[in-house]
Amino acid sequence: MDKMQVVLGVIGSDCHAVGNKILDRFFSDNGYSVTNLGVMVSQDEFIDAAIETGAEAILVSSLYGHAEIDCEGFRERCIERGLDPIVLYIGGNLVVGKNDRAIVEKQFLDMGFDRVFVPPNTELIDQAEILQEDILKNRDLSTRAI
Amino acid sequence: MDKDIFEKERQQVLQSWPTGKDVDFNEAVDFHQNLPSEKVFSKQLQKALDSGTILLQPRAGVALVDEHIRLLSFLEDYADLLPTTIDAYTRQNRYEDAQKGIERSTQAQRSLLNGFPAVNHGVSACRKIIESLDKPVEVRHGTPDARLLAEISLAGGFTSYEGGGISYNIPYTKSVPLERSIRDWQYVDALVGKYEEQGCSINREPFGPLSGTLVPPCISNAIAVIEGILALEQGVKSLTLGYGQAGNLIQDIAAIRALKESATTYFGQFGYTDYQLSTVFHQWMGGFPENEAQAFSVISWGGVVAVMSGATKVIVKTPHEAMGIPTKEANRDGLLTTRQSIRMVSDLKPLALKDIDLEQEIIKEETKALIDSVISLGQGDLAKGAVLAFKAGFLDVPFAPSQNNVGKVLPIRDNNGAVRLFDTGNMPLSDDIKTYHRDRIAERAAYERREASFQMVIDDIYAISKGKLVGRPK
Repeated sequence: MDKMQVVLGVIGSDCHAVGNKILDRFFSDNGYSVTNLGVMVSQDEFIDAAIETGAEAILVSSLYGHAEIDCEGFRERCIERGLDPIVLYIGGNLVVGKNDRAIVEKQFLDMGFDRVFVPPNTELIDQAEILQEDILKNRDLSTRAI
Repeated sequence: MDKDIFEKERQQVLQSWPTGKDVDFNEAVDFHQNLPSEKVFSKQLQKALDSGTILLQPRAGVALVDEHIRLLSFLEDYADLLPTTIDAYTRQNRYEDAQKGIERSTQAQRSLLNGFPAVNHGVSACRKIIESLDKPVEVRHGTPDARLLAEISLAGGFTSYEGGGISYNIPYTKSVPLERSIRDWQYVDALVGKYEEQGCSINREPFGPLSGTLVPPCISNAIAVIEGILALEQGVKSLTLGYGQAGNLIQDIAAIRALKESATTYFGQFGYTDYQLSTVFHQWMGGFPENEAQAFSVISWGGVVAVMSGATKVIVKTPHEAMGIPTKEANRDGLLTTRQSIRMVSDLKPLALKDIDLEQEIIKEETKALIDSVISLGQGDLAKGAVLAFKAGFLDVPFAPSQNNVGKVLPIRDNNGAVRLFDTGNMPLSDDIKTYHRDRIAERAAYERREASFQMVIDDIYAISKGKLVGRPK
């Protein structure tokens, strides 16, 4: 089976690079083909890269608290540009201040993200499997639609 | 910088956003000259240098002016020096986005920005901050092109300005060319020099911790010294050089001691004698434990090591570090914790240990190799040399996002928890030094019965957030 294509990056004006480098290495080592856009990536850059590579998932990181502004309308923008379905994940410290994890999670699920990881302390090895399941679920849906 | 070129460029910079027109240099000089010494950064630093005490400074900044003043007024009782942390949009000169953040924050009645957008708020808002407080305030940010921000905040009465052409590029941007950011920071330093000429003291602080992720002391010390010289060249007089806590007591003390010595040596070599030099110790800049009790322990230990290192100032973390931007109460608690730990050790004599001396000599030797390579590449021109050194990988910061950075160097902890070089990349270090690092890492690998590998590096990156210093296998 071909490797699943994913796009990885840190959104907005955020320059937290360490986790990004580790995620790149991790997903690459665990069977994915990773297009890593690095830090400071705009919504359209994520979408351009996903279209170009035929990616089935966009993995967004944000560590600096501006995610609620940076991610506004991201799902709608994906659909508008023909990325439908696409798995959308976000993880990090998403809003300014210490907030209830459940509230933040719901806020970003409502914005159209498939999974929300706050704070980013989930064991990585589980993520590789969850991501595979979510991508396969989307493929299944697309096949049925045809 | 040539004075005519600088003045011409000033006119362009001040026109790049509407608030720039409110900058009136002569009026700002008057304001600075009338500031009481309690509000002047370099004067408080001098007092600390003279008395051998250490000053505490938090990080803090929110979107709206009154809310920001309330935050700093609250922290003022617990800190010696105050910050104004600038939001991430302003750092990228995205003033339209910052404006949106201000409007959204006003509507939501909470800050949606991770700092204070000083350019959008303008000179008079900055003045309001300075006038509302009784302690010196520094602009803390991460801005590769910080010219307009400097114009507005210095005219606004701030007496210290963090950053540098290397330290606010390599860890803070992806694609800004290094020659561009170094040039833009020469402007900032020339502006500070212009204030200094009028007798207004503005402290400058290159950002020591860089990527904040297991940075070997020689790399941060070399860059700090280079940025120090670049600042002195433009007329800066008060310099605070920084270092981010690495975690091993011996190495951390040695690093600050080595930093002072290397700086003094090279400043002298470049012909500078008339300056004030202080140092800043940053409490652990990497990942923090989520549990607040554990976070307090990291903070407390950072306070102890800061005192033992002999630093002039310590930048304080908060128990919310793992979660992002702290509440004001969490910020206060970080300060209180640090104050207590500092007082527990402040009567102790400086530690005289052979291990520290040895480590200090190694750091100085490594730092010298790096700086000398920059001097030689630039044929004496440090700005040019720094650009070439990053291209060649002679200077290389682990885990930095910038495309200017080769990114071959990999750090790893040794069996004592000190940060060593697992991969020295292209850095021009002697064979003896390389062997030293290899041997220290081999000791740990043997102890843990595994090969040193990238997995070990990752284990070290997450170790402190998981409750330990060295990322040992389970």
